[in-house]
Amino acid sequence: MSNSPNEVRARIAALLPRLRRFGRTLCRTGEDADDLVQMAVEKALTRTDQWTPGTRLDSWMFRIMQTTWIDELRARERRSQTFVPEEEGEHVGVDSNAAQVEAMAVRKAVSRLGDDQRAVVGLVLVEGLSYQEAAEVLDIPVGTLTSRLARAREALQAMLGAAP
Amino acid sequence: MTWTDDELMAFADGELAGERGAALAAAMTGDDALRARVDALRRQRRSVAAAFAGVLDEPVPDRLAALLAVPPAEPAAAAPAPAVADLAAERARRQGRGSGSGSGLTWAHWGGMAASLALGVLLGHQWAAPGADALVSEAGGRLVAGGRLAQALEARLAADASGQGVAVQLSFVDRDGQYCRTFSTDRIAGLACREASRWTVQSTTPAEPAASGALRQAASPLPRALLEAVDERIAGTALTAAQERQARDRGWVR
Repeated sequence: MSNSPNEVRARIAALLPRLRRFGRTLCRTGEDADDLVQMAVEKALTRTDQWTPGTRLDSWMFRIMQTTWIDELRARERRSQTFVPEEEGEHVGVDSNAAQVEAMAVRKAVSRLGDDQRAVVGLVLVEGLSYQEAAEVLDIPVGTLTSRLARAREALQAMLGAAP
Repeated sequence: MTWTDDELMAFADGELAGERGAALAAAMTGDDALRARVDALRRQRRSVAAAFAGVLDEPVPDRLAALLAVPPAEPAAAAPAPAVADLAAERARRQGRGSGSGSGLTWAHWGGMAASLALGVLLGHQWAAPGADALVSEAGGRLVAGGRLAQALEARLAADASGQGVAVQLSFVDRDGQYCRTFSTDRIAGLACREASRWTVQSTTPAEPAASGALRQAASPLPRALLEAVDERIAGTALTAAQERQARDRGWVR
């Protein structure tokens, strides 16, 4: 596998749908999610040489997204433009089928989790990374990751109620 | 045996391996309450994944895709930045080029002579470097790509830096259902299609004279005659970078 910039570009392009999905778990609106993907991709393109061929490119991109997101949150705090937690649910009443209604409820519940918990849920439950891989992306010990995940799952369970 | 919540979660997430995992799996068979707790965690995992799955089917916004489009090659650029297989962009770029005295010539004006010249150049390579490195050879009345030309057509992606003096640009499926690719060297550009496990050269044309006479880069714009040859054969649109890679990885077999 080549590490030429164009090669890496093409592979990041292929990851865009997943990056957008991860963005959707981190951010509370689709617009913010795409902004985050854009910032992360721009950042990644300036340092494609830092990605080690043979390692997971998706993990590398997730990590850039995560750190970019943290920076963005801090910047927003500094600007005192406290991010308005627009909850997922812009299309309430549009979706009629049961699966879509449930999906919307789940996304809304995820959007109410804390920032750290959303990242863990996104990486493990949505993107399917192992605990070890997710801990590496977030640069935290596996023990910290599992306790965050456990708390996030309890919170989701509390919001969504016990499944029948 | 007691189980912690963390262990049940790890088990549901496929993370509890070894003896402890096996013991939990065994314990679940005789313990409905335990099984229900694990099942609830698994259901939760599935429902969270399903809630976001739809994002993958959404079209990627242009502003994001554009960030990763391979930048068009500058005619005299030193850095190898070959155009990705995008016919429309290639045409748009050509249309945007200056209307110098030479650009008014159509293929019809000089095409026949140019084609013979190009073939001579192409065969000249063969004559100059006979043996394994011949760019083309004649077989059954067709010109078959050989040597580094065959290697490039077989293995190189448009996004790769050109190596060994051969670059490939557009890849597409032609109306006969075979893969075709454009290629260029410092002196010629051509179109080759994959037939019966080999690349047959369909047409060639002299490479466009480089602006300012600088050493021509393999990534220079495609000559108009070649684009017209592509237009004549292409079915649908040119392959995307991902499709190109997939086709390459499958050995150009359809």
